[in-house]
Amino acid sequence: MRSRDGNRSITRAICSIILLSSFASLDAKEFLISYRYMVKDATLYNETLHISDSMKKCTGKPQFALILTSFGDENLKLTIKKNAQEFIDYIHKLGLHVEHQESTTNYQNKSTTILTLKTTCFKVDFNENFAKITPLK
Amino acid sequence: MKYSLILAALLGASSLVAQTPQTIGNYDKIDSLETQVSGIDTKVSSVETQVSGIDTKVSTVETQVSGIDTKVSTVEEKLASLEAEIAEMKAPKKPVREGEQTLSDGADVLISVTGQGVAPMNTSSPAQAYALAKRAATADAYRLIAEKVKGVRIDGQDLIKNMMVKRSTIRTSVRAMVRHANVVETTFKEGLCEVEMEIVLSHAQFAQ
Repeated sequence: MRSRDGNRSITRAICSIILLSSFASLDAKEFLISYRYMVKDATLYNETLHISDSMKKCTGKPQFALILTSFGDENLKLTIKKNAQEFIDYIHKLGLHVEHQESTTNYQNKSTTILTLKTTCFKVDFNENFAKITPLK
Repeated sequence: MKYSLILAALLGASSLVAQTPQTIGNYDKIDSLETQVSGIDTKVSSVETQVSGIDTKVSTVETQVSGIDTKVSTVEEKLASLEAEIAEMKAPKKPVREGEQTLSDGADVLISVTGQGVAPMNTSSPAQAYALAKRAATADAYRLIAEKVKGVRIDGQDLIKNMMVKRSTIRTSVRAMVRHANVVETTFKEGLCEVEMEIVLSHAQFAQ
């Protein structure tokens, strides 16, 4: 015959696991990130990086991740600002859409290259000092 | 009487046994025939040795002939291969450029480019100038990779008025998606930034 106290302990354990897992899932946030810049006649113009919270749950499998130092801050924009070069290199590695147009009129050359990362959902896990950024595709 | 008969018998026997000149002549003939036969035997043996010598010569000639046959067959094979080669050379071939890399199964192709970019005139610091020039150079390198892998669309237009070229325009464009390109080296000298970039293409990436 099972005791009532034993059943309670099992129930508590299950509840605590559920609570912990829910907290853990709350810690992972999803962001929409887009990046675009234009190079006109070998000079950079209009470099833009848009970061916003995802308003609905993203779908897709996580791809290869980037770990950035967050210094205890759970603000993605600040974290990216502090590790700007690393993040931009990572975005380049992920893949950018290249659109290039060149025109030569009477031997005078004009060129425009636009590199774009279309709006992509990133799952971000904030730990104590690090932020793990993973694109969902 | 009795003794006379025995004597007669003895005489008869002695006459039979005794050699007559005719029988002696026969023996001589037999001797001469024997010598002739022995001479013929030696001749026959010499002829036999000659025949055996001829046989060995014939066998050597046969081996030589077989050797010649094999040589003829090899020459014929060579002739056939040469004819095939000549036919192949005469057949129209697809032109293959020297040093052109083709993407085949199991062999990766490495593409290396160098992009160039310059810093804008109105920068607040040399660091900013470097960063902006590097970004421009990276974009140029991506464009070069796209051009190499995907190709370039080219449009040309010439405007001729009164038998003179008024305007000549060439437009090029490329659109592509570039992933997993690696920056190998970055140099910044006298306002010009150069970014050396590499990308590895494998057959599996393009297999459908």
